[in-house]
Amino acid sequence: MNREELIHNLKAVYARLWVRIKGGNREPEWLAAEVVIPVITLSAYVFLYKMVKAPPEYAGFVIIGGTMMAFWSNVLWNMSAQFYWEKETGNLEVYLVAPISRMAILLGMALGGFVNTALRATAVFVAGILIFQVPIALYEPLTALLIFFLTIGALYALGMMFASLFMLYGREAWHTANLLQEPIQFLSGTYYPTTSQVVPQTIQLLSSLIPLTFGLDGIRRVAILGQGIGDVWLNIVALVIFVLVLLPLARFALGFMENLGKKEGRLTLRWQ
Amino acid sequence: MAVGAILRTVKQAVWVGWKVETNWADPLVFAIYYLIRPVAGLLIVGFIFLIGSAVSGIVDPGLFAFLFIGNTFFIYAVQVMMLMSMLIHEDRAHYEVLKHIYLTPGSLQWYIVGRALNGVMNASVSLLLTLGLGVAVFQYGMGIPIPIDWLSIDFGVLSLGLLVGVVCFMAIGFILCGINIMTSKVQFMLPEYVSGILYLFGGVVFLPEILPLWGQYISNALPVTYFLRIVRFSFLHQAGFDMHTNLLYLTVTTILTAFAGLAFFRVAMFKARRDGLIDKKEEY
Repeated sequence: MNREELIHNLKAVYARLWVRIKGGNREPEWLAAEVVIPVITLSAYVFLYKMVKAPPEYAGFVIIGGTMMAFWSNVLWNMSAQFYWEKETGNLEVYLVAPISRMAILLGMALGGFVNTALRATAVFVAGILIFQVPIALYEPLTALLIFFLTIGALYALGMMFASLFMLYGREAWHTANLLQEPIQFLSGTYYPTTSQVVPQTIQLLSSLIPLTFGLDGIRRVAILGQGIGDVWLNIVALVIFVLVLLPLARFALGFMENLGKKEGRLTLRWQ
Repeated sequence: MAVGAILRTVKQAVWVGWKVETNWADPLVFAIYYLIRPVAGLLIVGFIFLIGSAVSGIVDPGLFAFLFIGNTFFIYAVQVMMLMSMLIHEDRAHYEVLKHIYLTPGSLQWYIVGRALNGVMNASVSLLLTLGLGVAVFQYGMGIPIPIDWLSIDFGVLSLGLLVGVVCFMAIGFILCGINIMTSKVQFMLPEYVSGILYLFGGVVFLPEILPLWGQYISNALPVTYFLRIVRFSFLHQAGFDMHTNLLYLTVTTILTAFAGLAFFRVAMFKARRDGLIDKKEEY
């Protein structure tokens, strides 16, 4: 890629980022919903822990899980399923004929989505902590931030990979995105620690295939249990591996699926 | 509208709903889809319960049965309201058929009832599969004793509770349809809001007594609370449970919700017709 192409692509990243931020924040009712609905959901799980008299840090686990779930939802609906929406509204063909990399568009979406979701996730986190008076034991904020950003990198790389699959989908896209909500919440231990002895080993094994699992576990241990980098270095290594594997895979998948779509004439096919 | 015409409309709507909901996949994929989400939801609350109980050292199988039945039967609320909330948006903006349905002699209201009944059918399939798999995983896989005698379920009480409960969820669905006919911005979030509130305050996975006092007042006003109490009673036969009073509360709150739902929908349709919203296509 020469300098001119790089500038073109960076402009595309900025343009897509701007649309994402503008579009995501223009409706106050959406903004409110994206904060209030997760708080309602995680409240139910906190009360469930209270019913069985679990210690208060478990409420903290739920709140961190609910906060990170905002990013997973964003990856799922605003990254993975985005090319499906774009196809339905007629924008996908415009993207494909533009003289820019598809990865630039996806990167713009990812950055814009991250900014939007970070705002909402912070609100969910603060509300959860204040409402349920969760004890925080954060002694290494930089470690927590490192794990957080590695998790976000891995999740958005996964979203980019899924986007290529969703590009060819019709109504399956909607159903597939739906399908990747509760099962991922269950497997990644969004609301409970998957390291608990209660969780069967088979499920723990499946959990380890999802980057969110390592991110959630690491952040919880650093922010709620007061552990340090010496305790969570394996989580960090796992997340780095996820990022290094998923990004090139996403690039490959995008090229492959675009070619397949062209051959099968499905890139502009609506109402499948 | 003659009864025969109503039944024909409902029948056709159920058939259309079945096609729209299912023909994107082969039957096996469809069945897996309708199984995985509710089962995963049940596993989440099941594991929260088991992990929390293991830490506190108190495992109460009665409470596990409480959340097992509550979470499983809440499928009706989620699926019926999700379907009815998305219906107007999909038929108006996506498939662009709402105006045609509105123009036909059959009433739009009965068409919506038919689509909702299709949702009830799908929810029933999910419910049966989730119950079966839930028992297989927790009772036989993990050795958690679920204190339910599957041979002594009171099907009369269960059927009555289900019938009234489903009518109630459809009535709430009509309110969602009414809101969605007037705006194109909230169809995704509405069912999440409503089902989230019902999930939190309806005593679905935890006892409403855990809630603060104001939350308990809300819980006592919601029909879903009584719906789940009656369903649980049909499985667990708790001593001292006043079934008749709970059924009366469920019926009264359902009648009130049904009146509110239909009145709201009619007003919304009147405004939609007046303001030209029935074929208004917006992409959100």
